[in-house]
Amino acid sequence: MDRQENYAKYQGMQGEPQTAAMPLERDTLRRFVQAIMDQDPAYYDEAYAAKTKFDGLTAPPLYPVHAFRLPADVPDPLAVVARDPSADGTAGIMGVSFGLPPIESPYRRLLNGGNEIEFYRSLRVGERAVAQPKYADVTLKEGKSGHMLLVTVETRFTNEAGEPLLLNRQTLIWR
Amino acid sequence: MTRYYEDVQPGRELSALDKGPITPAHIMRWSAAVENWHRIHYDQTFAKEHDKLPDILINGSWKQHVLVQLMKDGLGPDGWLWKIQFRYKRMDVAWDALKGNAQVVEKREADGLGFVACRIVLLNQRDEVSTAGVGVGVLPLKGGRTVPYPFVPKPDYPVFALAAD
Repeated sequence: MDRQENYAKYQGMQGEPQTAAMPLERDTLRRFVQAIMDQDPAYYDEAYAAKTKFDGLTAPPLYPVHAFRLPADVPDPLAVVARDPSADGTAGIMGVSFGLPPIESPYRRLLNGGNEIEFYRSLRVGERAVAQPKYADVTLKEGKSGHMLLVTVETRFTNEAGEPLLLNRQTLIWR
Repeated sequence: MTRYYEDVQPGRELSALDKGPITPAHIMRWSAAVENWHRIHYDQTFAKEHDKLPDILINGSWKQHVLVQLMKDGLGPDGWLWKIQFRYKRMDVAWDALKGNAQVVEKREADGLGFVACRIVLLNQRDEVSTAGVGVGVLPLKGGRTVPYPFVPKPDYPVFALAAD
């Protein structure tokens, strides 16, 4: 029988701050905004962006959550796919817990329980994003078909100077 | 163009957008842009046979940016999207056509600024809810001060009692 006490050590646990491998580059931003299909000139038109409150090219508000890419000098994360046909291709991906140690539990099915995000500032071209994750809440609940574990990961994003960019609270449901 | 607090009213639409059919090429472009190589987003055989999905999936991570754009564009260049919350209600697969809509529910003034709470939703081509949530934006008042940037919320700023679903 699973118990709430089994997860006490995770409550409020902070992870190591993660710094993006590279500062935001114009070309990365170009590809990103093409992919989200948002032609806001603040993202690509330098003359326009210079006259806005951003005072230069900036990323979309939620970009920092996607700023954490693999550096070039790590083992190829796709190598496992060639060896194992059942590998899903996610090896090495930062994921939603931003380097927090995984929670040991008997649950294997993961659902996204939703996000709450506050925005303060956008990441500028040339800046590097930093993520500071923590387990804000870990609660064991009795569901219709047994226990489920509700995990809220709260990640603060800043630039390298420590200026706040956004706060993302994501709830994960393990069943 | 500046959008002012006085321009928006509860019960009216703040903004809408239409992303059209999201094809496998669109999904691949997103996966490549963020270097997410999860095979359920581009490998149809893997998605169907390994994960038992109906087709390759449109990324939830992509849909959240669409909701942000919906609010950001509705608030205009002098407004600020302060908060957003959302939940994914259903899976969307390749060739689903997604459109978004933000409806103003409530508005309040505080600290010389206008706060606007909206219900936000992404619908598919069958008008089924893909993703639903709430957005809170800040707008300037006519003749008032500009919305500060960076935006630093104060403890007495309005709290809107709207659930994401």
